[in-house]
Amino acid sequence: MHSPVVVVSDLSVERSGRLAVEEVSFELQSESETAVVGPNGAGKSTLVAALLGLLPRTAGQVQILGQQLSSNGDLPGAIRSQIAYVPQSLALQGRFPLSVAEFVGFGFDPPGPRWPWHQHRKRKSAVEKALDRTGCIDLRNRLLSELSGGQLKRVMLSFCVVRPRQLLVLDEAQAGLDVPSNERFQQLLLELRRQEGWTVLHVSHDLDMVRRSSDQVLGLNRRLCCSGSPDHTLTPERLVDLYGPNMVPYRHQCHG
Amino acid sequence: MVDIQALALVLAEPFMQRALIGGLLTGALGGLLGSVAVLRELSFFSDALGHSALLGITVGILIGVNPTLVLIPFAVVFAILVNQLVERSSLPTDALLNIVYSTSLAAAILFLSLVESYRGGIRQLLFGDILGVSSLDLIVIGMLLVAALIYLSLSLRAQVLLTLNQELAGAVGVQTRWHRLAFIVLLAVVVAVSIKAVGVLLISAFVVIPACAGRLLCRRFPLYVIVSSALGGTCALLGLLASGLTNLPSGPSVVMVQFLGFLIALVLSSGIFRRPSTTAPDPQL
Repeated sequence: MHSPVVVVSDLSVERSGRLAVEEVSFELQSESETAVVGPNGAGKSTLVAALLGLLPRTAGQVQILGQQLSSNGDLPGAIRSQIAYVPQSLALQGRFPLSVAEFVGFGFDPPGPRWPWHQHRKRKSAVEKALDRTGCIDLRNRLLSELSGGQLKRVMLSFCVVRPRQLLVLDEAQAGLDVPSNERFQQLLLELRRQEGWTVLHVSHDLDMVRRSSDQVLGLNRRLCCSGSPDHTLTPERLVDLYGPNMVPYRHQCHG
Repeated sequence: MVDIQALALVLAEPFMQRALIGGLLTGALGGLLGSVAVLRELSFFSDALGHSALLGITVGILIGVNPTLVLIPFAVVFAILVNQLVERSSLPTDALLNIVYSTSLAAAILFLSLVESYRGGIRQLLFGDILGVSSLDLIVIGMLLVAALIYLSLSLRAQVLLTLNQELAGAVGVQTRWHRLAFIVLLAVVVAVSIKAVGVLLISAFVVIPACAGRLLCRRFPLYVIVSSALGGTCALLGLLASGLTNLPSGPSVVMVQFLGFLIALVLSSGIFRRPSTTAPDPQL
């Protein structure tokens, strides 16, 4: 039995003056993949942000790798450096003078002030490996602002895999990826879990992919409407409960 | 034709030497902080800070304290308050900054109209007087440049990640609130210190134009910061030399040279001077 990497108890979060997440509790087991699904505005990204300590909690507790998240969202640097996060997008208006390799290199550095040339060789080698692993090696000299949406997502994943971690949080990271890139992305997540013991939490709207890859599904619509294995959670009745009566569940036959 | 003798005479004057060093340091400082400010869409913020500085000077005159002493704390408090307003308000940032800077300007002009002895100095406040830069000013600007270089070098990762995505920065351990505030306070101090040399109306050009030129030319972040700073310093130096030779106002001369530098960067980045590809054309095409 794996130990829980994340324990969330009775978490409530307010956003823009209203309760966006209400009394949510769940655990993420080590090396598991958990998907958060739900309609737009259900509080999925808010849940993720609060879990990472980026938004203040109204109530409840969050424990990551055995360490309690403080009320102002602080975690010790040693725990922070075990967490990787892929946001929905980056602010890249206009020409942004930052190469892909430089960006991925920033993922290598632990928190805290450092001179830019600190551990230059180690960083360079780790960046090459990470870019190779995510199929982005040809993009290393491109500007971040020159990439397509799908390429940017792959580069953001390189930022995460450039150093060993234990928890990977993805906020709709696979949206915009073409079919081969999506498959490769999913394969890499599987490798990270099985070979390196990573735990993955991702927000997704792709229910077919969630059904195929996740161990646990959290159906969120402000409150946790359902949770459990995909077979238990993604049933037509529960999906209608979660998304409303207009939801028409469709399952790809080729995946059985 | 450049009159070399006239140039040599001008350069021999101590006030001109101080002005050149002051211009070089102020330009380099503006370009350095501008490189981050422009990416973080704080260009308009530096403009608002410049206009608020006029109000700070006016308050100093009204309460009978040396305006230079009032200016730095005033700019810092003003920057923190505006930052709070922008963070907490649901209105767009550019609209809020417009309200702030036009109100500061209006208040400053109203207060200045009450002070008989300062009416003649408005032009100096608006366009700066780099020739009036003292040795103490040079020491302060120099120390500020060193402090800004150290802070930006040590926090380069934090500055970049904060600019790209605040949540990503927070998730990997960047103290986002602290770094946002530290940068804004640093920008406020730089603007306050540079006002004497550059003037209220032109201070934002020192922050924005060299950084935009650098942004067009560079593909590596540290190089972009260095080029922006170097362009800021070089343009200030050339502008002051041109001003000394032609007897034109110094601040506007520097801004015109900065603009020329920006145009050159624009042309260079447009690909006109890039070598054509040497690969053979595809025979099937």
